[in-house]
Amino acid sequence: MRLEFDDGTLVLHDAPETVPHAEWDDRVSEYRAQAYRYQAILDWAGHWTDGGGQATLQDGFTHDVEDAARAYPDLALTPALQIEPRDYQQAALDAWRTHDRQGSVILPTGSGKTFLGLQAIADAGVSALVVTPTIDLMNQWHATLTNAFGAQLTDDVGVLGGGSHDIGAITVTTYDSAYRYIDEYGDQFGLLITDETHHLAAETYLQIPEMTIAPYRLGLTATYERADGREELLKDRMGPVVYQEAVDNLAGEFLSEYETIQMSVELTSEERTEYDDEYQIYRDYVDSHDFDLWKEQGYAEFLKRTSYDPQGRRALVAKQRAERIARTAEKKLDTLDNLLKRHHDDRVIVFTANNDFAYDISREYILPCITHQTDTDERTEILERFRSGEYSMLATSQVLDEGIDVPAANVGIILSGSASKRQYAQRLGRILRPTDDRQPARLYEIITTDTMETYVSQRRRDGVSSSADS
Amino acid sequence: MSDEQYRETAATLIDLFESYLGEPKGDLEAAIDELTVDNTDYKIVQGLAKLLKDECEFEQQATVDPREIRQRLFERANDSYPIVRQPTLGEDTQKLEVYSAVADELGISLEACYRGMYADLDDNKRLVRFGEQTVDEYDKDASDTSTTKLTGNSKQEYDQTEQTVDWLLARYNLALAQAVLYDASEMRIRVWDHFGTVFSYVKLFGLMHRIYPIDADGTRVDSTDNAAGYEAELDGPASLFRKSQKYGIRMANFLPALPLCDRWEMNAEILDDDSTRTSHQFTLDTTDGLVSHYSTGQQFDSDIERTLARKWERANTEWELQREDDVFDLGDEVMIPDFAIEHPDGRRAILEVVGFWTPEYLASKLAKIRQVDADNFVLAVSERLDCADEDFGDAADRVLWFKSGIHVYDMVELAEAYASATEMDRR
Repeated sequence: MRLEFDDGTLVLHDAPETVPHAEWDDRVSEYRAQAYRYQAILDWAGHWTDGGGQATLQDGFTHDVEDAARAYPDLALTPALQIEPRDYQQAALDAWRTHDRQGSVILPTGSGKTFLGLQAIADAGVSALVVTPTIDLMNQWHATLTNAFGAQLTDDVGVLGGGSHDIGAITVTTYDSAYRYIDEYGDQFGLLITDETHHLAAETYLQIPEMTIAPYRLGLTATYERADGREELLKDRMGPVVYQEAVDNLAGEFLSEYETIQMSVELTSEERTEYDDEYQIYRDYVDSHDFDLWKEQGYAEFLKRTSYDPQGRRALVAKQRAERIARTAEKKLDTLDNLLKRHHDDRVIVFTANNDFAYDISREYILPCITHQTDTDERTEILERFRSGEYSMLATSQVLDEGIDVPAANVGIILSGSASKRQYAQRLGRILRPTDDRQPARLYEIITTDTMETYVSQRRRDGVSSSADS
Repeated sequence: MSDEQYRETAATLIDLFESYLGEPKGDLEAAIDELTVDNTDYKIVQGLAKLLKDECEFEQQATVDPREIRQRLFERANDSYPIVRQPTLGEDTQKLEVYSAVADELGISLEACYRGMYADLDDNKRLVRFGEQTVDEYDKDASDTSTTKLTGNSKQEYDQTEQTVDWLLARYNLALAQAVLYDASEMRIRVWDHFGTVFSYVKLFGLMHRIYPIDADGTRVDSTDNAAGYEAELDGPASLFRKSQKYGIRMANFLPALPLCDRWEMNAEILDDDSTRTSHQFTLDTTDGLVSHYSTGQQFDSDIERTLARKWERANTEWELQREDDVFDLGDEVMIPDFAIEHPDGRRAILEVVGFWTPEYLASKLAKIRQVDADNFVLAVSERLDCADEDFGDAADRVLWFKSGIHVYDMVELAEAYASATEMDRR
């Protein structure tokens, strides 16, 4: 029998009828199996060897096998920074290892899931594909993996997604890109890591694990259960849940203290006129249609109308324009001017909600800048320089999460932002750390008075304080 | 939207793109957005614009690598903070000092330094080509007002725009159909001509197939000899295990191959939303007026084939020569012999011409030929090739070896000997 990887599946040339997990493919007159059955089929044939173990010869049921499917290399890596794993991280790794390096680990947000991923890659000793739900997270994994293994790899850490298409022995990608390309690369990796693995249970994404032969699989998440119960499907593709750490056991441990200072600016008279005009168009439309905009449903109804009512469309554009005027108010730059003077010896991160504003600020104050458009390797380099102190300031339109790859800053300045409260509570908490004991970390929030921003800011701080209570 | 409105919108967009030649991409996009401010058909506008953008080339305008410029700026700035707009203290730096220093270092102008800093951003790249038009032509036309573009020849220009509008709307219709196919799990096609072209696109886009010969009404028949056309079920390797949208993108890419046929039908199963597991049917055929932008390829593979066809026309025989009339399903690919030789009484033979090929191509062709299971399959093989009777397996007796060209009457003789009788109702 000869195993061959074919476009996300395994063709089993000259296979006996007894071969498990296979279907007869009348189109090519051979048996075919899903790629993720690779290990099980080798195991059945008595050809699976693992980590120094012996091939298991099951009661004489061995078959001659030519493995033309495996295209992934062995890879001996050690994380560059030897951090001692925390107890629960070590326990999770041990549990995964004893489950034949298959299965999912449930750890609370902020407990170092990425770090566990590094340990798993070093432990498995084969090439690895890391799949993440967003380009942001993909970039963060790239930074972390480059940091940990970059010097030991012959090629750079590969990036598949966000406009890049480079495959390396260690490669990061997004669910969407992996879904699109896995049939091409499903034979190139021995370890599959899926971050926020509960997303994997979606009908389309399930084909990512199905179309890869990787015998080792690690799922990571803080919230394994899904409303639709589809997490059940993960067991077959990724292995069972092998370790779980409750939120309570770790809560509060990694939150840092910071104080929030709110500063207000006015619109210039020109901005004010334009703002009021646009806002009025929006307001008039909404008032004449009786949407209850404070409720999710009411807003959805408004959005729906904008797709067939030209006035509604205009109202939506008016709202967006008004928001942009408030976000990028001219006088925010004056205030920023003052803050940058005050904190020029500190480590400062300036947040904006849109890319254009981030670039304006980067040009104006000559600050290194990271946005969604920044190439993954340049992003990694800028963060590395920020970490080492070569850069002390940073402008970004991206929210940088996960303590592990974002170097600490002691001053945060929010120039504009969206009102997603949970995200802000988590993200800001992790980035801001006092540089010395006498002075707490500071978060400045620059708000344009008498605009929609005033409301947004209120919601944001409500979110921060309510989550700190829990 | 009425047809007339579509044409109007398309024409407006084409004008817009032309007027932004040489301008930054970000400005062009802002101008497109401006068209949709109170237009609920913004999806159509954006869709048309997307197709036009595919015909554009945007280029980065910088003499020094932008990443190099900004890295130097940030390094220098980091030693000079605070850099402020309104210096209060004597030691505060202004940005100009940093920009000038780096510009000098790199030997470029201050402006080149400032503009080059982010010249690699998508928004800052410039539109240098739109369709056939390039910036240079545009500049020339603009500066020299006596050239054709602005003088008297507006009729010609109008026709050109009308053609572009036709082209754009045709592409848009095709793109809409393709967008539906992204969620397709299986496609079933029926074609009555251009078999070679269709199946070469099936292969090109990585689709797998099951093929059934059909008659003129689309009913399945038992042999390719009785076939007027072919039905094919198209999907991918993993379709064996589950219904999957995975190959929808391949089917969408394949779709433009169908309008190359004079007569075709397509039916696809489209899976609905991720979790519901329901589906609906999507049907298209010749009458939907889709236009292809794919090429049909060469009509004849070689001079030998073309010469044979020409000689056959002049020859005095009742046997007729038909181009690429049969499709043999070989599993992971198909074999489409060059000709069928048909007699009015219903007898027919299938002919493959093996001319002057590279050794690699010959080897793969021979492997295909050996898989063909048909007693009326005859071959004309060049003596100059490095192969012999035994390379043709069961077909060895049915080979005509030729020196420089094929004689029609030799072929007729071969057809008389091996043709099989078929029913008369093929067409």
